[in-house]
Amino acid sequence: MEVYREEWMGDFLVLEYKPIELQKPSYAIISLPDTGLVGVISAWHITKTLQLSEVGGLDSYTYLPPIVVVSNKLLRTPIRVFSGGNILIIYSEFIPAQQGLLQLSKILVNYMERKGVDYVLLPSGMPIQNRFEVENLKTYYIATTPKALELLKNMDIEPFENGFLAGPYALLLKEFTRARLNAILLLTESFLEFPDPEASAKNIDVISRIIGRHIDVKELLEQAELIRLRARDAMKNTLRGLAQMRKDVEYAVPLHT
Amino acid sequence: MDEEFERLFKRIMEIERNLREYIEDEFRKAIRSFREDIMYIEGMLAPMWHYEGYLRPLYSIVDRGSYYEINIDLAKADEQSIDIRFSNNLMYVRARLKEDVGFSGLSGRGGKARFHEYREVVELPIKIDPQKVKVITKRGFVKILIYK
Repeated sequence: MEVYREEWMGDFLVLEYKPIELQKPSYAIISLPDTGLVGVISAWHITKTLQLSEVGGLDSYTYLPPIVVVSNKLLRTPIRVFSGGNILIIYSEFIPAQQGLLQLSKILVNYMERKGVDYVLLPSGMPIQNRFEVENLKTYYIATTPKALELLKNMDIEPFENGFLAGPYALLLKEFTRARLNAILLLTESFLEFPDPEASAKNIDVISRIIGRHIDVKELLEQAELIRLRARDAMKNTLRGLAQMRKDVEYAVPLHT
Repeated sequence: MDEEFERLFKRIMEIERNLREYIEDEFRKAIRSFREDIMYIEGMLAPMWHYEGYLRPLYSIVDRGSYYEINIDLAKADEQSIDIRFSNNLMYVRARLKEDVGFSGLSGRGGKARFHEYREVVELPIKIDPQKVKVITKRGFVKILIYK
C-alpha cells in the first residue's frame, strides 16, 4: 500500500496510507503496552472484531527500536493506526523509550485534535497483588472533562479517586487534560506482569457500552489462555520499560489525598 | 607512650578493616551488577520458544517478607503434568501443554514449529528446602510460596 501522506512531528514520523475520515461521534482508542497488556489486547480484539483496516502508522528513529512490522507482506510501522466508521485505534506492542513518551503523548493529542476525534478512550489495567485469587474484576475510570464523564452515566464502574498512576497512560492523561480533550482512562484490575485477557474483556465491555456498538468478548475469553501464551514476548518486552517508569509506585499509598 | 602507640595501632587496624570491608563491598556490588546485566542481556536475547518444541513461561519473584512468592503463567498447560523441582537455589519447571500449539501467521521456522511443553530453570535468591514450599495451581497459573 502506498503512503498517502507523511509528516514529521518532532522525532516521530506520521504516515497515512489513505485519507482518514471518521463518522460522528468519533472515538479513538489508544493502546500502548502497560499493565498486563490490557490495552493492547483490548485494542487487538476490537480491531479484529470490528474488522477495522490499517490506515496509517507512527515511527521514530530516535525513540523506538529499529523495528519494522511485516504484516501480510506489507511493511508497517511499530505504532499502527486502524480505522473504520467512527473508530480510530492507535496500536503498539512496543513501548517507546521513556524520553520519547512525552513527545509521543503530545503528538497523539495533536493528532486527535486534527482528526476531530470527539472522545479518546484509554484502556489499561490496574495491578492488584491478589489477582491470582480475584475473579470479579472491578473497573475504575478517570475522565478529563465533564463531557467525557457524561458518557459514563449509569455504568457500573467506579471513579478512581486517590492514588498514583505511572507509565504511558499517566502521561497521556496529563496531556489530554492540558489540551481539554474528552478522554476517559479505564483501569481494570489485572496482573502487572502477565498478559490479562480477562481484564481486557472487562474493558471492552465498558468501551462497547460507551461507543454503543456490541463487541463480543466470548471468543476472547474462550481463547484467553492461547492469547496469554502468544503474548509472552510482548509482555516480556514491556516489563523492563514499566520498571524504568516506576510502575511500582501504583501500589504506593499517598500521604495526602 | 605505650598507651598512645597502642591507641594509634588500634586506630590504624580499624581504618584498615573498614577499608577492606568497603573494597569487598564495592567489589560484591560491581560483580552483582555485572551479573545482573549479563543475565538481563541473556534474558532479552533468549527467545521465548525453542525449535525443539518447548516454550519458556513468564514468571515473577516477589519477596513477601517471611516468604518468597513465585508466580508462573503456564497458559494452556495440563495442570496434572506440572512438575516443579528444586536443587540448591534453582527451580526446574516443566509442564505439558493440553494440546500442541503453533504460532499461525508467523513466517519462518517459528510459524511451522509445534510446541508441546513449557520448560524453564529459575534462579532463586535463596537455597530451597523443598519441605518449606507450597505450590498452588489455578487457571493455568502456578503460585509457589517458599517460606524462609
